[in-house]
Amino acid sequence: MPSWLRNSRLLVHAPLFIAIWLVLSRLNVMVEPLMSYYLALAAMYATAMFGMVILVGLSGQVSLGNGALMAVGGYVFAVTSLNWQTVPILGMQWNAVWSVIFAGLGGVIAGLIIGLLAARLRGPYLAGLTLGIAVGLPSIAARFPGLLGGSQGLMLTVPYPEGGYATDTAAAIDAAVESDAAALDLALSGTSPVPSDASSGSSDMLTPSDVTGSSSPSDMLTPSDVTGSSSPSDMLTPSDVTGSSSPSDMLTPSDVTGSSSPSDMLTPSDVTGAGSSASADPVPMPSASAISSTPSGTVTDAGFILEQWQASVSIAVACIAGFVALNLVRGRQGRVWKAVRDDPIAAALSGISPAASKVSAFVVSSLFAALAGAVFAQILTYVGPGAYGVALSLSLLVGVVLGGRGSLVGAVIGAVLLVGLPAAVSNLAGDRGWSDQVTNNLPTLAYGLLLVLVVLIAPGGVMGLLGSGWRRLTTRR
Amino acid sequence: MLEVKQLSVSFGAVRALDAVSLIVPRGEVTAVIGANGAGKSTLMRTLAGLVKPESGSAELDGAVVTGRSPEDIVRTGMALIPEGRSTIPELTVEENLHLGGLWRPSAERKATSAEIYDMFPVLAERRRMRSDTLSGGERQQLAIGRALMCDPTCLLLDEPSLGLAPLIVTQILQLVNQLAREKNLAVLLVEQNAVTALRVATTGIIMNLGTVVRVGTAEEIAADDELRDAYLGS
Amino acid sequence: MTTFIDYLLGGFSSGAVIALFALALVLVWRSTRIVNFAQVGQAMFTTFIALIVQQATGSWFLALLAGLVAGAILGLIVYALVLRPVQRLDTSGSIIATFGVLISLQALAAMIWGGEPQSFPPPVANDGLEIGGRIWPISWYDVLVYVVTAVLVVALTLLFTRTSLGLSMRASAFNPEVAKLSGIRVNRMLAFGWALAGVVGAVAGVLIAPTASLSPNSFDILLIFAFTAAVVGGLDSLIGAVAFGVGTGLVLALVTGYGEAGDAPIVVLILLAITLVVRPGGAFGRGKSRAV
Ligand SMILES: Nc1ncnc2c1ncn2[C@@H]1O[C@H](COP(=O)(O)OP(=O)(O)OP(=O)(O)O)[C@@H](O)[C@H]1O
Ligand SMILES: [Mg+2]
Repeated sequence: MPSWLRNSRLLVHAPLFIAIWLVLSRLNVMVEPLMSYYLALAAMYATAMFGMVILVGLSGQVSLGNGALMAVGGYVFAVTSLNWQTVPILGMQWNAVWSVIFAGLGGVIAGLIIGLLAARLRGPYLAGLTLGIAVGLPSIAARFPGLLGGSQGLMLTVPYPEGGYATDTAAAIDAAVESDAAALDLALSGTSPVPSDASSGSSDMLTPSDVTGSSSPSDMLTPSDVTGSSSPSDMLTPSDVTGSSSPSDMLTPSDVTGSSSPSDMLTPSDVTGAGSSASADPVPMPSASAISSTPSGTVTDAGFILEQWQASVSIAVACIAGFVALNLVRGRQGRVWKAVRDDPIAAALSGISPAASKVSAFVVSSLFAALAGAVFAQILTYVGPGAYGVALSLSLLVGVVLGGRGSLVGAVIGAVLLVGLPAAVSNLAGDRGWSDQVTNNLPTLAYGLLLVLVVLIAPGGVMGLLGSGWRRLTTRR
Repeated sequence: MLEVKQLSVSFGAVRALDAVSLIVPRGEVTAVIGANGAGKSTLMRTLAGLVKPESGSAELDGAVVTGRSPEDIVRTGMALIPEGRSTIPELTVEENLHLGGLWRPSAERKATSAEIYDMFPVLAERRRMRSDTLSGGERQQLAIGRALMCDPTCLLLDEPSLGLAPLIVTQILQLVNQLAREKNLAVLLVEQNAVTALRVATTGIIMNLGTVVRVGTAEEIAADDELRDAYLGS
Repeated sequence: MTTFIDYLLGGFSSGAVIALFALALVLVWRSTRIVNFAQVGQAMFTTFIALIVQQATGSWFLALLAGLVAGAILGLIVYALVLRPVQRLDTSGSIIATFGVLISLQALAAMIWGGEPQSFPPPVANDGLEIGGRIWPISWYDVLVYVVTAVLVVALTLLFTRTSLGLSMRASAFNPEVAKLSGIRVNRMLAFGWALAGVVGAVAGVLIAPTASLSPNSFDILLIFAFTAAVVGGLDSLIGAVAFGVGTGLVLALVTGYGEAGDAPIVVLILLAITLVVRPGGAFGRGKSRAV
């Protein structure tokens, strides 16, 4: 292929993604903060799943451990942004940007190591190794309470809102609308007698656990977690933090921390976030109507809404990742990955190194995972082993399978489903008079059954269904 | 006697068998020859129940076998020795052999296996060893032995000569011929190596592109140079 | 030195249960070339059923029996409804499907029985035995676990090596086509393999429940450990699964004894990674005899 043609592909893709970015950014400032929060999560998932599409779909390597690679990104982001102060450039502190770059680098290195380990492994052995990584890697953090915050994780009060991190894209784009939004939000919090209570109340609604998150206290089954007075959930209850009125109230660590207790690893609630029981004090699972009718949002010192700002970062990263992924998939490297997946021997005979191809797929997917992990950290304003557990890895797999394994658009659909499905299911369950025990676990059950059904009935996921529907339509004529 | 009537098989758009009819009498070897992709293996696999036919039927001594599962077809007395290595390397020689008759009462099974060990002394010597320690020719003997374990009336052999030295091929085919006569078996033998196959066969059938193009006595077909040039390219 | 021995002794018991789970994984792998990630979910579910029977009848033995039956039935159901249709698909398909089953079972269990950990009373005392004026980290219950595990392993080995059924199962696993051509009802054998694995998993669940309380997720970590043991053992080898299952239990006991409980997953990961780097097909994999 002549080089000008390859360049023209870049030329076509670049405006496409700029357009998508503009539309999403616009959307972000038009909707309620809660929707912005969902948008942020969906974009974050999409970023990680672009990597999964390349790894699982194109390169044919099933990974159960990309959540752990997200942890690498999240932790690198947290540690660098907490501990390093960069020199201001053009009057701006580019801390966050640097931290994201470092997170990406960390992801590349981790991907290289794991890829080298994994390239020789087939099917179940690879699945086993990656599952081990999903379990083992995040618990390394527990080993370093000083630097990595141990099993309680690290709060990310920095570099937001003061510091340069806040002054990028969001502020520029949202400038027109932000004053309105801020005004709206101020008005809303004004109606509440105790603002901090309002925000901590909404924090329950908005726990990451609604979508990804981790365990309710009841899920922690190790004796120390149940009985011990120093379990993470006790230490960082919302009430302990509210006083400081930091933005982190929104997403209390206790909802995310979980614990590194073995029993948490594959909680159904880990995938969807519903508490798996109706015990004394689980995180209340709000009904969907409650969610959609509850405006929230914290006005930051910089004068705009936390969720909007988080979403704008997440969207920007997702658009860049999507642009890179599309060029890789449509380009030479994409064909190399597919060739090795379909017939490694033939590929080797035509001069492609299957091992190098597999490792490169791991590196790319790990890069995307790490970027998503960094974004996730700033959405949660927290990093911890519980937030990046096996559940996260599995939700990535769920999303990619639901959307359609080999398709980037499918990854986006999967991301939207991951965020939207729990709410949709609890909406459906609505007022049937079922007990919490049932309704809280419905989304998880839906995920499980959907996984099975998709594999059985529509192995191509949503994209596969759309494709065959389209083909049927067009051949009818 | 095996009687195949108008058997057709398609794989998607590919018509692998197109209305194939043939008769395999007992007590003799009937050879099917044809170039690569002629549909020989498909014919055998369809008869054994591994491939579902689109239309047509096959009857073994009057009982319809088409449409039944491979497990049931074996029980009616028809055994296929598939193309390629059909012994299981992870199992011992004895286990491979016994496999063929596991559905039979154990007394009968033991009697048959004793008979087969007599026929193939090499297998008796190696009975406790893993079957992948056998040579190619010995492995083919083991595969034939396994097929015989079900006490068949009809034997289907798909290219037993594949990958074997000419001398061994001759031995194996002679053995097949002897089996057909002594045990009064209906033997359908698929071969690409026409000359050797026709030497042990009574009847020759030439297939091309999924159809039977010629049926005749083995001598007739072996003598017909025109046929050879047209379909066998040798 | 005595603490070292204490840790080791303590490790045997959990090692035995890990070995049983690994055995269940191997049984499924041998019959259908699928790693059943839902195995611990099935075990959890059947252990809840056993607990109900235990509470209703007060008999541990009846509970075990109910668990076994439920395990076999659940194994059959999962195989027939999910995996048999999926078999023709790629490995990724089966891995994803078994995870779907795992997630569904856990959600169902949480719906029915709640997420609260429940205790499962042991049939015999679970206190350390006093021998020679010293209390050892072994109880009568541990002895029961050893005995049941040993009996199960011996019975399975005999089944596979000495019986026609075992030979049929192995042939169906190694080469379904040749097995079919030999008259073996392959689908039945594969289903039987799943049922058998369900039984072994159920036994493991009922055995571990008294020492680790029972909840929808309480066996999750065991999946990782059992998987590691099975993979390190080569996935095909019963002996390998048992040996490395017990080995994993011992390593974990030492790690938690001398280090912290939280380190266990890391150590297991390192163990797994090293084995797979040295032998990508598992320590007992390809090349060595798979006769047992
Ligand atoms: N499972 C299958 N799916 C699709 N096409 C098939 C299948 N099996 C056979 N075919 C096609 O059917 C045709 C006949 O194949 P078959 O194996 O019967 O030929 P053959 O005569 O045995 O050839 P050879 O001498 O090379 O063994 C070929 O075109 C082949 O590609
Ligand atoms: Mg053939």
